[in-house]
Amino acid sequence: MPDLAYDTLTADVVIVGSGGAGLMSLLHLGRRAPELDVVLVSKGAVGRSGCTRMVQGGYNAVLDERDSLDLHFADTLAGGAYLNDQELAWTLVQDAPGVIRELERECGCLFDRTADNRLHQKPFAGQSFDRTVHRGDLTGIEIMARLRDQALRIGARELEDVRALDLVLDGEGRLAGLTVLDAASGRFALIRARVVVVATGGSATMYRIAAPAREKTGDGLAMCLRAGLELRDMEMLQFHPTGLLAGDSLLTGSVLEEGLRGAGAHLYNRLGERFMERYDPERLERSTRDVVARSSYLEIVGGRGTESGGVLLDISHLGAEEVERRFGGMVERTRLVGADLAREPVEVSPTAHFQMGGAVIDRDCRTSVEGLLVAGEDAGGTHGANRLGGNGVAESTVFGARSGDVAAGLARELPLAEPDPGLVAASLARAVAPLRERGESPSALMAELKDVMWHGCGLVRTREGLEAAAASVDGLLERAGRAAAPGGREWNLGWQQALDVVNQLQVAQTMIVSALEREESRGAHFRDDFPERRDDAWLRYVVVRRDGDGSLEIGTRPVALTRSRPPAAVAGSAA
Amino acid sequence: MTATVPRATRAPSSRAAGERTVRVRVRRSASRAREEFVVRASDPITVLDLLRQIQTGHDASLAFRYSCRVAMCGTCGVRVDGRSRLACRAVLEPDVDEIEVAPLAGLPVVRDLIVDTRPFWAEWARVKPWFVPAGGEPVQVEVGSAAEELVESALGCISCGACYSSCEIAGHGSDYIGPAALNRALALIADPRDGAAEERLEIVGGRGGVDRCHYIGACTSACPVGLDPARSIVELRRLRLAGRA
Repeated sequence: MPDLAYDTLTADVVIVGSGGAGLMSLLHLGRRAPELDVVLVSKGAVGRSGCTRMVQGGYNAVLDERDSLDLHFADTLAGGAYLNDQELAWTLVQDAPGVIRELERECGCLFDRTADNRLHQKPFAGQSFDRTVHRGDLTGIEIMARLRDQALRIGARELEDVRALDLVLDGEGRLAGLTVLDAASGRFALIRARVVVVATGGSATMYRIAAPAREKTGDGLAMCLRAGLELRDMEMLQFHPTGLLAGDSLLTGSVLEEGLRGAGAHLYNRLGERFMERYDPERLERSTRDVVARSSYLEIVGGRGTESGGVLLDISHLGAEEVERRFGGMVERTRLVGADLAREPVEVSPTAHFQMGGAVIDRDCRTSVEGLLVAGEDAGGTHGANRLGGNGVAESTVFGARSGDVAAGLARELPLAEPDPGLVAASLARAVAPLRERGESPSALMAELKDVMWHGCGLVRTREGLEAAAASVDGLLERAGRAAAPGGREWNLGWQQALDVVNQLQVAQTMIVSALEREESRGAHFRDDFPERRDDAWLRYVVVRRDGDGSLEIGTRPVALTRSRPPAAVAGSAA
Repeated sequence: MTATVPRATRAPSSRAAGERTVRVRVRRSASRAREEFVVRASDPITVLDLLRQIQTGHDASLAFRYSCRVAMCGTCGVRVDGRSRLACRAVLEPDVDEIEVAPLAGLPVVRDLIVDTRPFWAEWARVKPWFVPAGGEPVQVEVGSAAEELVESALGCISCGACYSSCEIAGHGSDYIGPAALNRALALIADPRDGAAEERLEIVGGRGGVDRCHYIGACTSACPVGLDPARSIVELRRLRLAGRA
């Protein structure tokens, strides 16, 4: 009989995740309510796991008097194809300037400045004003390193290499805390808490070619789903058009930044055709991420891709010196795999990058469960059907900050609820199950899922393909119930992977049913059998919720056009 | 359509696709011995790829860390043939058919290639690494100023610990603050926006501070992101002397 023993800890607030949203939440909690007992749970190293760290581009904020909140808001809605929750999008736009100043003046982040000492803001795709604040092409490292330093000042209890398993409620359905597993010791713990902030990041790792860090396996989304929360826009998964292809290496899928296309890079198929001329003759390679990614994909599946299943990105016509000067990091990345961006075309493929969908929240990160807050990529609605470059780290930090402020207030009001022992036992029993000697290989299951999602629920979708993917995922989930990770409890990476793949599969189910539901094409979601964007019928968002028996309940709701309506001309036109 | 200059029809450069086998010797903690795995490699391949192949295909119990796999998180530090590096940055040259992978030096081994980084972070915390707003002006580092050059030279550290591991004086229970934390101290001390420079100068000039450095420069050679902690230590000494004058 496997050991289900667990430690019990008590805290006022637990933050799950130590990326941009999690550490920003901690920073604000530390300021608003330094007396509170806060526990930070991080699946990997604190401040160094997740994807805020990996941000190359930058941070959108309105800082110039010639720019305006209205413009940033309009760009965000146009980018999101009007599927956005307009209150969340407005909150993002409204708070971003204050948060970027806070990062600079209170955390000491150093961003690039112009010769006259103003913050440098660079142009980014889909934006009507140059508003992306950055530090070279390593913006994420500067923000996360400084937030990590602030966390050292605050000195919260940090549980590193500890993964969250399940949210735990009391007998009346009130939040009581969560269960966790320490990957180092293999021990379980129940953390009782008044408030929990979920900020773990999305699940784009479930695609064969994917950009995110290892940890991002939809843990937060799956936890919210199992706790009965509603998820929205789960069909909306962004593919970045230019992911590196490097055979079996983990480097495959890592992003070659958007700025390359902005600077004039061309894309060619195997036949030497500059294929964007066929898909978007006006904007060509400077078209939005969804269009360029889908076009490349169509070339590849149409048999016009390279031998290893890519297209060719070429910026060498700018001259090697110029490319090295402006894109040193990217040149270096290609040289690691034996290519040379400065001198020759490089094979690239669309790569799964960002999850627009997530838990339904209000502008204070509140969910339908009191005391349970969700911030960052785990939340849905801010970006609608497609995220603009530069709005990702802005979302993490803006809503991370809000979640901290709100948590500080809630923790003073809410009682410590009594965890339902049945829920705790069920959570631990599920978690311990893979520690069997023989069964399915977690890494094989994960590899199969990546192929299923790439082909069935990827850049181009059909009813037939989605139904096949749904059947495959159901089969994988059933097999995952027999996953085996022998080798003991301490630092058993196979065990962690077995828990990862269940989360990925449960989230995959919500993505597939949502994609089936949306019988139109919008933003990142393209249905080959419904290629038109239909504002007349589909200014609605898809909501999915899991019942107690594991079946999914699906519905749609009209987008509340509280602040802005889409231009009428869009109705019935191509997506 | 009109095809533009067909330069892209040139084959992209890549190494010959031929597979080879690599003998990977890994320092294991349970046996306290090196264990050898023969891994099939197809280029391009990094040490991180080799470790993952061993873990998924040979021995599921092999323990190592990684997150971003693109040299941004700094968690996959190991020693490859004695050199402290990031596993994700260590690309195998085509003629290499055997390598040895060991945990970072100077830090206690937790399991296999995973080290306990707490001593590294304790030193990092000792220099008071968080920004302390001075209040008032300036609210920025002036563009083109000497201060900017100095601050910039010390930013971008991913706290991977490669410098700490390569340093003969840091770690192993010594009281030396170490190159990474001293480099962080310089970034703050040189920053005119920060209000705790004096306190930090005291710290880096005190016990386990800059005077422990022997200027061997291994830290700078090891840095996977091209920083120069050895120079930062020189600058700190200079600033400390200037402060006393």
